Amino acid sequence: MKHDDSSNRLTRRRFLLRGAATGAATAALAQLREARAAGVGAANPFAYSVSEFEVTDPALLKYREVRRFEVPGPEARRLTLLPGGSLLVAAGRRFVEMTAEGSTVREIAVNGAARCAAVAGDGTVYAGVQDHVEVFSAKGERLATWQTPGKRSWISGLAVGENEVFAADSGARLIWRHDRSGKATGRIGERDAARNVPGFVLPSPFLDVELAEDGLLRVNNPGRHRVEFYTPAGSLEFAWGEAGMAIDRFSGCCNPCNLALLGNGTVITCEKGLPRVKLHGTHGEFEGVVAGTESFPENAKTGAGDGPGTTNRASLDAVADATGRIHILDTVTRRVHVMEPKQPT
Amino acid sequence: MATESTHSNAVSRRDFLRGGVRVAGMTGAGLLAGVLTHKAGATTHVWQIDPAKCVRCGLCATECVLEQSAVKCVHSHDICGYCELCTGYFEPQPNALNTGAENQLCPTAAIIRKFIEDPYYEYVIDEDLCIGCGKCVEGCNRFGNGSLYLQVRQDRCVNCNECSIARVCAGDAFRRVPVDHAYLLKTKPH
Ligand code: SF4
Ligand code: SF4
Ligand code: SF4
Repeated sequence: MKHDDSSNRLTRRRFLLRGAATGAATAALAQLREARAAGVGAANPFAYSVSEFEVTDPALLKYREVRRFEVPGPEARRLTLLPGGSLLVAAGRRFVEMTAEGSTVREIAVNGAARCAAVAGDGTVYAGVQDHVEVFSAKGERLATWQTPGKRSWISGLAVGENEVFAADSGARLIWRHDRSGKATGRIGERDAARNVPGFVLPSPFLDVELAEDGLLRVNNPGRHRVEFYTPAGSLEFAWGEAGMAIDRFSGCCNPCNLALLGNGTVITCEKGLPRVKLHGTHGEFEGVVAGTESFPENAKTGAGDGPGTTNRASLDAVADATGRIHILDTVTRRVHVMEPKQPT
Repeated sequence: MATESTHSNAVSRRDFLRGGVRVAGMTGAGLLAGVLTHKAGATTHVWQIDPAKCVRCGLCATECVLEQSAVKCVHSHDICGYCELCTGYFEPQPNALNTGAENQLCPTAAIIRKFIEDPYYEYVIDEDLCIGCGKCVEGCNRFGNGSLYLQVRQDRCVNCNECSIARVCAGDAFRRVPVDHAYLLKTKPH
């Protein structure tokens, strides 16, 4: 969308508009008082309403919920799929491995707030812990701890390839590229006019990164309401996404908040505020809804400042398994919703 | 009496004016003179809104004894998320992210959006136009950082013994604060 800030100056136009607006203020007040006079319970004509966006057109719902279960303990934040099909949940100061049916298998304690994880093909777990990365073997033995080079690091997303680990750092507003030994080898996504990279806008710490089979990174740029595609060397290849509450757009201040991928390259986008999970083709084409706002009422309430906990906690995360099922974590209820495609994939 | 919100600080007139550099809508001419005229003398306490308790019910606009409410929207630049799609400024589904009247949420066009540099915008409230309806406050709270909120402007409020808004306030958000700490400014998002 294009920006037009011509009204910044107190121009003659604004002066004239102001005259009209003064009338509008008087009219608005009269309208409010009339509604109030109609009695308690009369609708506030200036109530802020997004109710039309809280209901999903059933024709757009491509998935059905088959099961849900709760993650034990406080503060469930992110989900990762383990090679055998079980889930690794970043929660509190630990990572909890759970079966797809919801039984706890084991826990891995970490030295700080567990935020995110990525798992290599050989089972090595890279765990994003507050401002650093902790590395564990498939059996859960601690192998290493890497400090990220950033001063105010907040590791909010991780992706791992054959030779590299990518760490989304919401504090530093960039993606760190590391080799598998932990050596930082690059910085991706920083504002760079010469390379046509606009930089990440993060009103809240929700920078995520996914690595697809085509070798490109998918990174959300929530303040710009976009998904951006980068080469591991940091070139911005393309981007898509538009701001708005409509179902095919990204709502609120900063969405999508988290990403996941289906095997065919479809991008799964998670939103907060209006909590919903949607599908977009590689080039951004809207493909449908996995779960709409009505599936997460507590999350929507908390996001609006009316539910339990702080609004900062209200987000969703998702991960897809090899069968095409999508697991969605609601960070307010700490529930995992297991979604199956209505049509076999 | 309500306990003080952990997310808002009672501040003095001086802090308030100093904060006016950062808190849009708080720079109205004659503010200090207004406060002093109204609040000097025996007055020790004035009415103020705890932003953490306000539920944006809309009654601030209509229940004040003044023709135009003493309650106005203020904007805290310090906690603003600088959202491109500012949900306090734009309709939920704007045609475009520009300042066209049809895209604006405020029913009186009282919010002036000023581009600073990518991605930063500054918001200034035209207090003569703001009727204190709280619509922008709800939009900002619902999807943003809550940097738009309502305050009783002490240069306008006549400090009724019993504030007629406080009597009906849906959030029980009104309370008496010392006149030398007459504002409850937010210091943290939400
Ligand atoms: S009356 Fe109370 S709850 Fe309603 S808008 Fe005013 S301060 Fe907020
Ligand atoms: S939406 Fe209502 S409270 Fe906000 S600036 Fe406009 S008139 Fe004031
Ligand atoms: S004390 Fe009186 S003038 Fe002040 S906000 Fe309340 S009703 Fe309005």
